[in-house]
Amino acid sequence: MSPGKNDFDVVIVGAGVAGAMVAYRLAKAGARVVMLEAGIRNPPRPQIAGAYAVAVIKSPHSAYVQTEADAKAPSPDSAADYEQTSIEPDKQYKSGYERRTGGSTWHWLGHTPRMLRSDFEMRSRYGGGKDFPPAIVDWPITYDDLEPWYCDAEREMGVAGSDEEWNNLFDSPRSKPFPMSMIWPSYSDMWIADKINGKKFEGVEYRVRSTPSARNSSLYDGRPPCAGNSICVPVCPIGAKYDGYVHVKKAVDAGAALWEQCAVNGIDKDADGSVHTVRFLTYGNVPRKVSGDIVVIAANAIETPKLLLIAKLANRSGQVGCNLMDHLSKSTYGLAPEKLFPFRGPPSTSGIESFRDGAFRSKWAGFRVSLNNDGWSRKSSPQAQIIQLVTEKKLIGVELQAELFESVTRQVRLSCSVEVAPDRNNKVELSNNTDGLKIPKPKLTFSPSDYSLRGLAHATKTLRDIFRRIDATSIIDPNDADPKAFDGAGHIMGTCRMGKDPSQSVVDSQCRSHDHRNLFIVGSSVFPTAGSPNPTLTLAALALRAAEDIGKQLGIKKQRQTKP
Amino acid sequence: MSPSTRVATRSDLLKLLCEAAELEHGIACSYLYAAFSLKRDISEGGMTWEEQQKVRRWAAQIYFVASQEMLHLALVWNLTTAIGGTPYYLRPNFPQDATYYPLKVPLKLEPFGTRSLRRFIQYEHPETTPIEAEVRELLERAREDEEEFSFSSIGELYGLIRSGFERIDGKELFIGAPTQQMTPEFVHFPDLVAVRDRTSALRAIEEITEQGEGRKGHRENSHFVAFVTMLKELLESRATGSGFSPARPAMNNPSAGAGHGYTANPNPIGNPLAGRVAGLFDSVYSLMLRMLAWSFEFDSVGAEAQLKKFCSVAIDLMPRVLLPLGEGLMLMPAGEKYPGKTAGPGFGLTRHVMLPPHAENAETLCRERIQELAAITGELLKQPLPDPAKAGCRHLQVIARTF
Repeated sequence: MSPGKNDFDVVIVGAGVAGAMVAYRLAKAGARVVMLEAGIRNPPRPQIAGAYAVAVIKSPHSAYVQTEADAKAPSPDSAADYEQTSIEPDKQYKSGYERRTGGSTWHWLGHTPRMLRSDFEMRSRYGGGKDFPPAIVDWPITYDDLEPWYCDAEREMGVAGSDEEWNNLFDSPRSKPFPMSMIWPSYSDMWIADKINGKKFEGVEYRVRSTPSARNSSLYDGRPPCAGNSICVPVCPIGAKYDGYVHVKKAVDAGAALWEQCAVNGIDKDADGSVHTVRFLTYGNVPRKVSGDIVVIAANAIETPKLLLIAKLANRSGQVGCNLMDHLSKSTYGLAPEKLFPFRGPPSTSGIESFRDGAFRSKWAGFRVSLNNDGWSRKSSPQAQIIQLVTEKKLIGVELQAELFESVTRQVRLSCSVEVAPDRNNKVELSNNTDGLKIPKPKLTFSPSDYSLRGLAHATKTLRDIFRRIDATSIIDPNDADPKAFDGAGHIMGTCRMGKDPSQSVVDSQCRSHDHRNLFIVGSSVFPTAGSPNPTLTLAALALRAAEDIGKQLGIKKQRQTKP
Repeated sequence: MSPSTRVATRSDLLKLLCEAAELEHGIACSYLYAAFSLKRDISEGGMTWEEQQKVRRWAAQIYFVASQEMLHLALVWNLTTAIGGTPYYLRPNFPQDATYYPLKVPLKLEPFGTRSLRRFIQYEHPETTPIEAEVRELLERAREDEEEFSFSSIGELYGLIRSGFERIDGKELFIGAPTQQMTPEFVHFPDLVAVRDRTSALRAIEEITEQGEGRKGHRENSHFVAFVTMLKELLESRATGSGFSPARPAMNNPSAGAGHGYTANPNPIGNPLAGRVAGLFDSVYSLMLRMLAWSFEFDSVGAEAQLKKFCSVAIDLMPRVLLPLGEGLMLMPAGEKYPGKTAGPGFGLTRHVMLPPHAENAETLCRERIQELAAITGELLKQPLPDPAKAGCRHLQVIARTF
């Protein structure tokens, strides 16, 4: 590219997985690219693991605490870290995110199932009935449109999976094999599969499948295979699990600039409706700006609408910030009748996909079930469990040891992840409160629809049924206390929905703003609906697809693009 | 055999496959020995918390590479049975000098360090590529007082095997029963290829060479590059002068005791208790191999449950018994003859019969043997063993109870 009137060809806001992939592709094709990242660069992995080890309260962000960055580019860790419209726990948004170079993938689990063909066609397939939420729409693209980009994203991230188990799942074919063979299912997975495979619940057949993961099962892309450290969340200590920093580094190696500790607080609109100048504050509160022929916003689905609302951009439809989604997550605990030896390998290696699609989706939401390898540690820490045995059962010494060996080795956690229907009233707005750089914080409104809560009810019944079939005892079902209670899944989606109609959506099918033709939005904020899979692979595929269009718009010759 | 030698007959191919099986097997043991020697805990001294993370990463990678060598052995066995042979699981005991194989690199049991890493890099060096200047310089920097290697590669051996599969008429060659082939359904090797024709045979060979050497132009994911990176990191860490010492001071080429050398020339462990643990290690290791070899040898039809059980127990024995016993030995004194040194497993192949074709008899032999070995652990557990060795003994008791 030849230098133009702007500082860069492309200015990308956010150096997470979506922004870094776009930066990498465009820099590799010869474009002059800068990534603006509000957060800081993380210390070496052992230091992150060490910070987590000494943290009194263990949460994903506790491994990444850094006083200045947390004040100037806050990383919400739980519902309590947000300003929310409701104070009722069942009407709060629970999922946090990480504002650091590389983004929230630093502490993601790494699961990468694809969306199903039907997930792109929800209204056409299941809409029309009184139980079907009005805001569920079809995507402007199909599974087939995205399929080559799924393959591309799987190759870039390094996904391990089983073709045999995943090809043609619910009529969603794979055109290329997974780059690596699957992460081997845990002993617990295989034992449970043996008990339930082929059995039916509510007419749906159980089949346990290994979950595709961006986690190396062999040496891949210069990174080591998973060594079973079991602390994927909050960090893989050896880099076997993919994270956005992999592509940040690749982008920088390809010539992209990376400006960290730069919190964007404005984007100027030119008279012709285009956008070029991005304004930001350094941690020293110094205002600066940078310009690009194309601007890409690649923050997450809360920070992206926040920035657009501050800049008053891309909102002809009034949809910016609306349709905030997540997956409703819930765990049930039990003791297996025999020792399954949890706490080895990744926290989850298999799941059940059977309930993700079916005619029932006209009435209630689809869901995934995860089989987990982390015992009851989500419920209470191992130390807390020991203290409970000492104080309540009065066990000490050899008896305590025997009881621990007997019970901890039998602990099982099953969890569900339920589709959240989009709802215009679930939204991100600007708060009157500001962060350490005087930039407005987000204010959230979130209340799951009855459609999703019905899905949650079916999902929790399913978990109970599985526990029954494996003859589990000591079952702890949070549903008993509050059927509407849920946890966040960390899957922040929606808020800048993709669509054909500029009056109803924020971006077109190429992730380009309807209102500003040189403004692109990448990340899970563009999802019109959520489906039930973990969103990162889909957002990566969409980002790679958008990168090709950005390249075309820049005039990069086609042959210089990396094709999937 | 030189690379120019023509591989023209089934017998040529079977002989080369035996050689490949021996090498994959021996090299896997050598890698495991180095991995066992890596320290786990800061209390062992010689490393900071940050350095410990690096050492654990190295250990994980070496264990992974060793597991892929075991997969290679399994693939070689599938190749062997596909053309009418039987799985070859024997190998000479350690040490073997550079003249034993045309590879011209010695087979040894040495703790992790520059010497062992140099040897590992030479095992995995790509078939035809000359040593790059950077790697040559790296090997030079890591040189210590040791014999000169004449450089060759395993890739070259697989080149010969590939040429045999390409040259010999497939209709005559593949006489093994398809149901004799082991698949991931029976044994937990997700990348195990069933060999039934020339195409699948070549795919199996390609998988082995790709994992070892990497593809031309894409070496970054190979064993070769993994070891080169490890050696670089080790030399860099040493250069800081922090007194970094990642490995336990394990002796070289141990054997469970005098009389366990089986014509090799090992160093007998002098400490009686360590010698007994090393003897147990060898016996479990031999039993595990015999069970795996049996599973690969016989037709699966009608014996599915037995095959699955043998494979499952054999694979279970590796991480749950052999690994902790191996690590435990490296925390036990080697004996007065080796001041400051700790012991280690000799991977001695103890003399025993092949398991019989009759499935029930094979199971009886295995059950009796595993129970005998579990009884030995009962005695050993009364002695002051290091924690990993205790864990290995207890796991063996559990496996024996449920066999």
